[in-house]
Amino acid sequence: MTEPPEPAGDEGADTKGTRDDGDSDSPTRATDDRPDPLPVPTVATLSTDVVDNVSRVIVGHDEAIEHAVVALLGRGHILLEDVPGVGKTMLARAVATSVDCDFRRIQFTPDLLPTDVTGVNVFNQRTREFEFQPGPVFGNVVLGDEINRAPPKTQSALLEAMEEEQVTVDGDTRPLPDPFTVIATQNAVERDRTYELPFAELDRFMKKLRLGYPDPDEEAELLGRTVGHHPIESLEPVTDREAIVRARETVANVRVEEPVREYATRLVGYTREHARIGASPRGTISLLRAAQARAVIEGREYVIPDDIQVEAPTVLGHRIETADRDRDRDGDTIVADALERVPVDA
Amino acid sequence: MSVDRDGRTIPLSTDGTIGPGAFRILALGSVLVLTAAYVSVLQDVTRVVGGTRTLLTLVVGMLLAATALARLIRLRTAATIAVTVAVVGFVYYFERSGVGAEALFSASETVLADVVTLATGLELLRVVEAGTWTLAFAPGPVFLSWYLALRGRYGLSVLPGGFALVFLVLTGDAGTTATLVGVLAALGAVGFGDLERRGGSVAQADAIAVLFAVIVALSLSVTFVPGGTGTANPTTAGASDGTLEATIDSASERSGIAGEVDLSPQIRFTVEADEGSYWRTGVYDRYTGDEWVRTGQSQPFGEAGIEKPAGTTGTVEQTVTVATDLGVMPAAAQPVDVEGGIADYTEVSAHGQIRPATTLIEDDTYVVRSAVVDPPPVVLHNAGTDYPDEIEEQYLQMPESISPAFEERTAEITEGADSPYERTVLIERHLRSSKDYSLEVDRPEGDVAEEFLLEMEEGYCVYFATTMTQMLRAEGIPARYVTGYTSGQQVEDDRYVVRGTDAHAWVEVYFPGEGWVEFDPTPPQPREAEHTERLVDAREENIENVDIETDGGDGDGSDGEDGSDTRGDDPDDGPDAPDHNPDGNESPTDPGSGPSDRNGTEGQASETGPPGVAAGDGTVSTPEEEGVSSPVPITREALVVASVFLVGLLAGAHRTGATVRARRLVGRYWQRRTEDPDRDVERAFRRLEGVLGREYRPRRPSESARGYLTALEAAHGDELDPRVEQVLERYERAVYGDGVDRAAADESIEIVDEIVRKRLPAVARLRN
Repeated sequence: MTEPPEPAGDEGADTKGTRDDGDSDSPTRATDDRPDPLPVPTVATLSTDVVDNVSRVIVGHDEAIEHAVVALLGRGHILLEDVPGVGKTMLARAVATSVDCDFRRIQFTPDLLPTDVTGVNVFNQRTREFEFQPGPVFGNVVLGDEINRAPPKTQSALLEAMEEEQVTVDGDTRPLPDPFTVIATQNAVERDRTYELPFAELDRFMKKLRLGYPDPDEEAELLGRTVGHHPIESLEPVTDREAIVRARETVANVRVEEPVREYATRLVGYTREHARIGASPRGTISLLRAAQARAVIEGREYVIPDDIQVEAPTVLGHRIETADRDRDRDGDTIVADALERVPVDA
Repeated sequence: MSVDRDGRTIPLSTDGTIGPGAFRILALGSVLVLTAAYVSVLQDVTRVVGGTRTLLTLVVGMLLAATALARLIRLRTAATIAVTVAVVGFVYYFERSGVGAEALFSASETVLADVVTLATGLELLRVVEAGTWTLAFAPGPVFLSWYLALRGRYGLSVLPGGFALVFLVLTGDAGTTATLVGVLAALGAVGFGDLERRGGSVAQADAIAVLFAVIVALSLSVTFVPGGTGTANPTTAGASDGTLEATIDSASERSGIAGEVDLSPQIRFTVEADEGSYWRTGVYDRYTGDEWVRTGQSQPFGEAGIEKPAGTTGTVEQTVTVATDLGVMPAAAQPVDVEGGIADYTEVSAHGQIRPATTLIEDDTYVVRSAVVDPPPVVLHNAGTDYPDEIEEQYLQMPESISPAFEERTAEITEGADSPYERTVLIERHLRSSKDYSLEVDRPEGDVAEEFLLEMEEGYCVYFATTMTQMLRAEGIPARYVTGYTSGQQVEDDRYVVRGTDAHAWVEVYFPGEGWVEFDPTPPQPREAEHTERLVDAREENIENVDIETDGGDGDGSDGEDGSDTRGDDPDDGPDAPDHNPDGNESPTDPGSGPSDRNGTEGQASETGPPGVAAGDGTVSTPEEEGVSSPVPITREALVVASVFLVGLLAGAHRTGATVRARRLVGRYWQRRTEDPDRDVERAFRRLEGVLGREYRPRRPSESARGYLTALEAAHGDELDPRVEQVLERYERAVYGDGVDRAAADESIEIVDEIVRKRLPAVARLRN
């Protein structure tokens, strides 16, 4: 697998989270004819609609749904880590359906090959030419189920696609559809015969979420709803693909002023000072993007520190590695500490 | 974006760096100020003894030489030049003062002793050749410090200047202000020099300003400069503040001139002598314009002895019994011999006046033989003007500041006189007749003699004697100012009781071939009257020790009164008070009546007198006296020091953030609108935060504004003004968003104003 050069915008623009600075649109996409951004209130309504719609299927995980929408609008990807059977797959499907997008699913297994993800060039006997058969990664919402079951090489096929929003097969680079969001799941219980995602690759997920078990009440409701026909079958889209593309443009245009950028930098800086490995610059960018999306969902065209505070745990937690001796603490506690200690105003 | 930039990072002008050029100018200026500080001290001396122009010329010359040579010669050469200049200067000084130049090279005791006595508080004014000394002293440090400053060696350049200033502080000549200015300048030179070298900014310069302020404040609270406000060396318990004795004998080597003074009616000493006389306690030769200074140093009586005056006519033996602590040894002029145990503790001043080395206490007794100079007027008239050089040099000194008007007036008064004696008599007569006697005068500013002759209507003995001495000197007649006591109350044929009320100052005039002859320009009758009044008052008030107790109060008292008349006659006749002699016998002043009156009054006056106060023991210092009688004028130096202090205070406040805090406190209740609505909104929110912080809890640093208000709302929702939400939103928009407009800003400010004032009890009441 070739390693295409990283777009300059991502690595270079450490804390600059504004659209102008942090543009990560891949070079292959037309950057000059950007989609028309939707007005902020429209996006806010749209997001609420999506969340409401999905929560009809996924009971008791409104917050997780919101995070998923944030990742979708903030051009990020999500890693769901949880025990089986709590609705990880259902969440991905419901989100995809609600926004009327192409949903693809890749079940990762130990024998899965990279080409099973990206697609392969097949020789067409009739035209006597190679034709590209797109893999399952060519979708708007891609569910990578149990990603830690596949060997690293296959994992990285997906991860490269996530980062570059493009796929290169046999030297030909093909853009992925827009929007493109990966929701990968990771089984947290069966650690045998799995390939732990390398720390560096975890960094490519904007958020890592845990759904957790629903409350007893919520579970009862869930049972009532799903015992017959699963509601996912009857789920209707509440918006369309084009609206999502434009909403993403809206999010990218959200104002991130210097105090906010500095606050984010201070938070990230704190994690670097208090853990073996702190959040990367990519983490800072992701944090600001997520905050931008959060601001739009709240109906604001500018990010406030509160947006950062809401997003920081899910965005930064999985990017921090504590020392082995530091058993009581993990990334999440570090982020919690950071939020508790880092001053909002300089 | 603009919100931020305007609201948070205001580029402070003080962050700007000043070019090293500016610091260089400041540093050089500081060195100059330091130089000026000690030169001004020296100039105070030359102002009195003459030579100011020479001194200043020398200083300017040295500055120019240093400027010219700064780039040409090396440090070692410059140091050599400075030392050479100093050596040459002091050789000249020693030649002039008769010690001989070889003293300097042999590093003999003379030089060492000279330096040590100066450094232990011998004021320059007391040096006989003070003028020459300053000329020898000044050039070295001036040259070297300016040379070093020009070469950028500020730290080193402060050394010679600082040494000069410290030396003058040790001699007691540099006053607090001059010292303070000098120290500040030295600090400035080093500090600014450092900033120049390292390219500092104004913000760093304020550290120097703070240091300045600290030094000023310290020096005001702790006065350790000898020449400072505490010049008074309280010698003994004795003369209480504000008495004439305290003033004229405030210190052993100087005699002050005060404003209003009082008289103590207490007994000081008794004298057994065949004749009454003025009992002299001090002789002063150098006049500064506001006080008298005795030059030269005292020597033990045993070593020095006293030369007998040329024109001696007789010897008077006096046995003096001290009645209270006494820092002086009263004796008739000229004392030539002291007997008794006290002789070992007796010092003789350069002018032939005896002084006790330690304070005399009650019942101390000593015997003094004095050679009375009492030539007949004819002799004095024919004495001529062939004054010895050293007499002319020492006793013709006048401050440079004396005006031509003074000399013109003196010349008018003495017009037509054809001998020094006649002129002396004319001057004495003029003063006696033209001025009134009063102890209640305001001390004039400026030269006392000049003011008294030209402006004042009345005064007391100090003014009369000072003025007469200076008038005589203006006429070229060597004269000196002496202090002491009049003869006192004659209680027996040969016994005189002297009280504080008898304290007096008069004049001695030099006649070639004869010696020093006493004259008294103070009008006798008014003085007597005034002094008697004090004594009567004291008796009525039953003050102790006004009368002699040992002899048995009543009898003596009556005796005294009876005797006073006779006594009065005695002085008149002449033997008692030498000063009267010229007048009495032949001069136009009414000799008989004058002295007799005086004596009479003295006699009456002597009735009272508690023992406490002794002349010379005065605890009162002249400066304090001045302070009492006339408000201390605000000098330019004081203004400079005060402004330095203020600037430093401001810089300190700025540095510690006090100004910021003060502004915040004010800003909490009153918000000035700025041009920038975003800033206004931000500030309004800060005020709101301040109010809420004091009422509930302050916002934690890690808490966002919204998080804070949400938490407060959760806890105290019903108490909170619902409009805070609006202010918060405007604040967020101003700080994080695209900004707010004027109307929104004004509205926010109004909301916050209302909320703040509601919580300010006093204002709330007013508004209701």
